[in-house]
Order: sequence, then C-alpha cells, then structure tokens
Amino acid sequence: MDIIVCMKRVPDSAARIQIGGDGRSIDSAGLEHIISPYDEMALERALQIKEEQGGTVTVVCLGAAEAAKEIRQALAMGADQALHIKSDVGYRDPLTTARILADHLKGRTFDMLLFGKQSIDADNSAIGVMVATLLDLPAVSLVTKLDAADGKATVEREAEAGAEVIEVALPAVFTAQRGLAEPRYPSIKGIMQAKKKPIEEAQAPEEAALITLEALEPPPARTGGRIVGEGVEAVPELVRLLRSEAKVL
Amino acid sequence: MNFAFTEEQEDLREAARAFLADHSSGEQVRHAMETEHGFDPDVWKRVGAELGFCGVTVPEKHGGIGLGSVELTGLMEVMGEHLLCAPFFSTVCLAGTALRIGGDEAQKQEHLPALAAGQKIATLAHSEAGRGFDPLDFGCTAEPDGADFRLRGTKRYVIDGGVAELLIVAARAPGSDGEAGVSLFLVSAGSEGVTRRPLASMDQTRRQAEIRFDDVRVPASARLGGEGQGADILCRTLDLAAVALAAEQVGGAQRCLDLSVAYAKEREQFGRPIGSFQAIKHKCADMMLRVESARSAAYYAACAAADDATELPRAASLAKVYCSEAYFACAGEAIQIHGGVGFTWEYDPHVHFKRAQGSSVLLGDPAYHRERIARELAL
Repeated sequence: MDIIVCMKRVPDSAARIQIGGDGRSIDSAGLEHIISPYDEMALERALQIKEEQGGTVTVVCLGAAEAAKEIRQALAMGADQALHIKSDVGYRDPLTTARILADHLKGRTFDMLLFGKQSIDADNSAIGVMVATLLDLPAVSLVTKLDAADGKATVEREAEAGAEVIEVALPAVFTAQRGLAEPRYPSIKGIMQAKKKPIEEAQAPEEAALITLEALEPPPARTGGRIVGEGVEAVPELVRLLRSEAKVL
Repeated sequence: MNFAFTEEQEDLREAARAFLADHSSGEQVRHAMETEHGFDPDVWKRVGAELGFCGVTVPEKHGGIGLGSVELTGLMEVMGEHLLCAPFFSTVCLAGTALRIGGDEAQKQEHLPALAAGQKIATLAHSEAGRGFDPLDFGCTAEPDGADFRLRGTKRYVIDGGVAELLIVAARAPGSDGEAGVSLFLVSAGSEGVTRRPLASMDQTRRQAEIRFDDVRVPASARLGGEGQGADILCRTLDLAAVALAAEQVGGAQRCLDLSVAYAKEREQFGRPIGSFQAIKHKCADMMLRVESARSAAYYAACAAADDATELPRAASLAKVYCSEAYFACAGEAIQIHGGVGFTWEYDPHVHFKRAQGSSVLLGDPAYHRERIARELAL
C-alpha cells in the first residue's frame, strides 16, 4: 500500500499569536511551529497501515524552507520519503494551494492520498476535497476509521448523529478527523534514520492570487465577568443575557 | 570543541520534551510519586520500547542506538526539567554503563538488549551505610567458593533497588582494601539470599532501597571484567553517571528559573507584577547565572566523557559540584519567589527542592567532589 500524506506547517496551537507589522500576516518572531494536528493523525494512520501491510508513506509539504524541520519530524515518525514544495507565500487561497499540490501529485502512483480535515491556522477544510476533484479521485472527508484491502477502503466518517460506513475503490482521497489515530512520538532510532531519507525539493509556481487577504485582526480583548445575581433567582436573568447579549443560546 | 547540539541532537531533545510535557507534568509526577514503586509503568514502557531512550548509549549490535554521552546528557537535561519518575538513571546511566564498559561479549549479549528496550530494570549496588562517598569504601565481600563466589554484605541507598531485576553489586575479596580485590557481579534480584527493603528518602521521585546479600552464590561468569578490574570499571561508571546526573540537575535548575520568571510576571503585589521589583529581578538574574554556568560545566563534562578524555574524573567532579549547588540554590529561590505556595504540594518548586537535595548527595556530595578536585590538583 503506497500512501501519500499531505501535511502543513502551522503555528503551535499553544503559541500566543501576534499580528505582524503589515497587519496581514502573523508575526513569526519566536513562534514555534508544528505539523498541523489533523495532518499528523492522517500520517499516523498511514504509518500504521504501512506497518500492517507493507508499502511506502510519502509526505508532501507545501511551505517555507523552514518547514524542513516538520518534514524531518514526519520522516522520524516513520515516513519513507518526502516532497517539499517550497514557497515563501504566507497566505494562499485554497484553490491555488490545491492546484499546486495536484500538479505535483499528478503522475505519481499511490493507493491513498491523506490530508487532515483542516489545517489549524487557515481552517478552510477545503484542500483535501479540492485536490481530489482536480485529480478526479473519489474523496471521503472527516474519516474516523480507515482500513484498506483488496483495492478498496472501508471507512467510517462522522455524521450528524452517528457514523457512516463507506466503501470506496482505491486510489482515493481521505481527510482525517480526530479519533482516526493518535500520533506517535518520534523515536531516537527514527530521528537518526530521518537524516538519511530522501527529501525531494520543488519550487511552487508564482500564481496570481484568487483571493487576497486584506487584514488580520486579533479577537476582542476579554472583558471581566459580571455577577448577575446569586442562587436560583439569578437563573432567568442569566439565561436572558446568554440569549440576548452573548447570543450563545 | 562545539558546545552546540547538532540538528539530530536537538530533534532528539525536542521529541523527549514533547513526550514528557504530555506524560510527566507536575500533576503526573506527584501521582507517580505516590505509587508503590514511584513511577508509572506505562510511561516507563513507552520511554524504553516506543521512544528508544534506554538504548541511547547501547551499541547497535546490542539492540541500542549507539550514540554517546552528549546525546545522553541532552536527554537527561530534558528529563530533569520534567522531573521524570522512572528507573532510567539506574538502568541506563548506572547499570547500563557498567555493563557497557566492563562486560564481556556474552554478558552484553545477555543483558544489554533487554536494558536497551526498557524491558529489564537494573541498578548498581555499591554504597553502604556508615561509609563515605568514596566508591571503593565498602565492605561487602565476594568469597571464592569452588568455581563460584559467595556475596555477603548489605548495600544501602541503592537507586530503584526495590524494583530492579538485575543488580550489579560491588564486592571485594575478603581482607582486601582500597582498589585491590574489587569486583562487580551481575546478580539476579530474585537470587536466593537477596533481601530488599525500601528506604524512606527525601526525594520521592527517585526511590532507594537497602539490599542484603546473605551468602548469595554467583558464578565466576557473572563477574564484570577480569580479576582486579572492578575498581576501574566502578569508578569510571560513577564518573559517567555523575556527568549524566549533573545534566539532569541543569534541567531541574532551568525549570526552577522558568517557573519563577513565569510566576513573577503573573503574580501582582501593590498593583504590579512582583517581577518588576528589584529584589525579585536580582534573584532571577542570579538564578540564570547559576543555570548557565552549571550548563557549561555539564556540557564540558559530557564532551570529556564522549571523547574518553583523561580529564573526565576532574570534569565530572567539577560538574557535579557546580550543578548540585546551582540546582539546590535555584530550587530554594524558586520557593522564595513563589512565596507561601512555593512549598505546597500543588506547586512544583517543592518537588524540585527535594529532588535537588536528593541529587546533591547522590554519587558524592559537593564536599566529596571538591576533595577529589583538590587531589587532582595534587593538593
């Protein structure tokens, strides 16, 4: 089973995000980065399938030169090889990103193409299914269980009030939802082997942007809490405020 | 000489940091401390089997990774930051090192793969009650009995001695003294005549035990090294272990500084963060001076250990003195900066304080190591 996993380098979910001086990008000074967690879950399942059935796992990353660190981490976890499509563009619309990935994936042989359901920085939830469309492949999103045998995959995906079980012919595209697999930590052996694994490099083309990011704004500063009363007598007022002011009910 | 870690070494430390952040938080440490053996067996299993930490210095042909003291130092520093409760120091830094440098091929083949995989806990039993820190100051005897030896004596302060399955026991020929007649023996903890008793210790993150050997029969093939080589193996093992322990102390001291700075920024008094007061600033600055100096001493000792330099004993003692004092001072200051909550169960500084005190006297207190340095200076 040959599996390709697309992964993205994103700011650490625990990092405090500051907006850069241009007002349109994140200030990356001192910012830690990680593999987007859903991509990491996809990678873990790919590695498990490889360990069960044999085959290869290739990671593909479209991102800055600094993403080499996260690519090395994926190789240390057990991926066999990597393709690093280098790009210094900070923000790129989903369709352009999907086109670049599809162009580099076209002509490659694989049984499964895995993505996280979304990256945790852009949160578009679009790339996986867009790439599937561009490659004319079937796609199943929000996958929480994935098994493959005899040229087809059996998957479970989240539904409104339960799970859907789907069978799909391979090759196909899947996007990982939480629960698919718990990512492993790189072992020392994996870390030492990673430096010997091949990383193919390519340059992302400069394409005209379909969407332009005009500005980033931090969320409004949190204000202090308000005590609306005490005991059960306060409940009606609390409910009213949650409904009319906070608009969460 | 290069004091910067390589990319791979940094990746290794980062992997350790990520794992321990998830599995050795302050709360998890306190929980592990309360268990019977003082560690979480699942975490220990993952440290050995999944992450491969236990095999870091074990040669590849014996199931390890075949890295050196620098990588071990890097790992120990991260483990010290997170106060890892696990029999890593005893298994890897003490018993594993003794086996690696003193064992013959058959002994290595038999034991190192299990140690490297974290499947077997091992330790070194060398110190005894009422003796000094000199590693050769002990009375346990190994009396020849046909083709075998009979071990007699009581070891104390044996790290993880309550859970270790394999013991490396320092014993001497009856009537011998000093370096002469010292041997190290591989002894199964389940052997007839071995009795273990857990000891209460200040540092609950690292358990100790007393182990009695009543006429314990061991074959001659269980002796590490040839006749008369035991003292060299033991002293070298303890020097290498002292370097690893110094690195762990650096990690602990760094964490005390980090905790203090974070608290000083957050805790307000008189309407401003306490970190804005000169008294607190100076304390933190002094802590950083100690941490950075301790780190330099530990890294230098790690380089000496990796290069097999003749100055290892001096570098190890220097690192052990400085890192012990730096950790203890930083842990004490961390409690002061945290104020009343600093020594409560819920806050980490008090656990670091106890670990710092325990580690300070482990493998020789600062006074002992100063004496060693003075002897190295021919004084």
